[in-house]
Amino acid sequence: MNYTDLTSPFFDSSTIIFKIIVIIWIILFTIFIGKIATIRFRRSLKDKMSKDHLEIILKIIHYGIIGAMIAFLILPLLGIQPSSLLVVGSIAGIVIGFASQSIVSNLISGLFLMIERPIKVEDNVNIGDISGTVEDISIISTIIRNYDGLYIRIPNEKVFTNTITNYVSNVARRFEYVVGIEYKCDADKAIKIIKDIIEANPFALKNPAPQAFVDNLGDNAVNIIVRIWAPSTEWYGVKMETLWIIKKTLGENGIEIAFPQRTIWFANELKNKNENENENENENENENEKAGD
Amino acid sequence: MYGSHDIPVRFRDDRLTLSIEVEGDVKHYSRECLGEKVEKTIHSKDNRILINPVEPVNTPKDITSYLLIDFEKPVIIEPETSIKIYLKFPVEIGIFISGKKKIEIIDVLTLVNQKFTLYGTPRHGIICKYWSSNVYVSMPTTDPMYEGVIQLEIINTSTHWTEVTKAVFNAYAMKIYYNDDIVSMQAKMKIMAGENAETDFVNLPLKSSMRKSVELYTTRIAPVLGTKFVMENGL
Repeated sequence: MNYTDLTSPFFDSSTIIFKIIVIIWIILFTIFIGKIATIRFRRSLKDKMSKDHLEIILKIIHYGIIGAMIAFLILPLLGIQPSSLLVVGSIAGIVIGFASQSIVSNLISGLFLMIERPIKVEDNVNIGDISGTVEDISIISTIIRNYDGLYIRIPNEKVFTNTITNYVSNVARRFEYVVGIEYKCDADKAIKIIKDIIEANPFALKNPAPQAFVDNLGDNAVNIIVRIWAPSTEWYGVKMETLWIIKKTLGENGIEIAFPQRTIWFANELKNKNENENENENENENENEKAGD
Repeated sequence: MYGSHDIPVRFRDDRLTLSIEVEGDVKHYSRECLGEKVEKTIHSKDNRILINPVEPVNTPKDITSYLLIDFEKPVIIEPETSIKIYLKFPVEIGIFISGKKKIEIIDVLTLVNQKFTLYGTPRHGIICKYWSSNVYVSMPTTDPMYEGVIQLEIINTSTHWTEVTKAVFNAYAMKIYYNDDIVSMQAKMKIMAGENAETDFVNLPLKSSMRKSVELYTTRIAPVLGTKFVMENGL
């Protein structure tokens, strides 16, 4: 007896109970296969994605297997051929596909985001023009809490196709300042003071070593570039506090931050000066003559 | 200062001021060191505190569980030999309070300047607490409130001469012992082929009659992810 025998009219009419038993057996077998598949996938994917995302994917696999088994094994037993289902399914698929194009696109993007994992919950990120902390990554959308505390929902398709900057993906990151000091000040002394300040900050990393050097001779200032590496979780705090400490300490040591200024030379300054002097002399002579009269 | 003490308790020197005063069932904890002042109110019926050195990775902020000790002079080791050296490490002091047969950390302080560093690359490396130490072949003298001593046995199992300039340790593996004169740990570094090394700790005191520190990471019920550390980003 093969599978086609079970679907024959003979069995349809004579052994309904047997057919029910076969269907129940197929359902149990399908559930068993689904369980085995989810266990296998759970083992192979558990280190590659978060628990929440893994559960979603495992459910899709589990119910996908059950759905396929029902379509290709149980429905033929009930006299419904998969080929006819395929025709109906393809028409329905086209209709549903057009209607739910963006949903499916978001869903697929969500799956790829879960596998690729460019962002995780609690990461500080920039997606397109939105910056903030990732609150949740679901199968359809990603939730961001921006730095003003606003709730922003981004469809996964946009997340997937946009440029993503993850500020905390690497364990350390660098930031820099430009400190412009006056030309009359000692740049070597300023660099030493800046390096001492960086050394005193525990979160300014020892390695990669910080840098402080004269980068260029600007219009108004000698520009010192300061580059500091810090742990990704702490860099913003270091950045916020260090620049003001540098400014204050340089000032205390007689090194002033330069500001834009212009020295203006008048080309006819000397001529005007001579004319004024001659006028004064003439006036004095006239006064002396009057006094003599 | 280390050990178990009855409350009320007071310690004062030029670097540290620490006191716990009693007011009924409430204790007032206060300490000041390196310009930092901490005050806490504790509700406890027990009148004992424990002060001991803890894993030196908690201050100023608990952002890593790794300690990197940079050797001021590199150590060059012949193939398939071993050497015992001594390094200094920074001491952090844990203040514990007991209650109903359980102890709880109430404060961690240090008298040393703090610094962090990156071991490896920004992408695949780790942030470590940083300390620079000279390399000693005999046990150096230290101020136990300030620095401890690690006896490090370096075993070169490779077939090449190897230069070691640093050691990275996992705080989850640290076994700290102390007495009134010294704070110590014993560790091993096994150099393997391909410029890799594995570090681990030995649960033994450097001297007899030393007391074992309460391990802070265990008391926090932190997940133990393995105690050894494999140095894959340079020795």
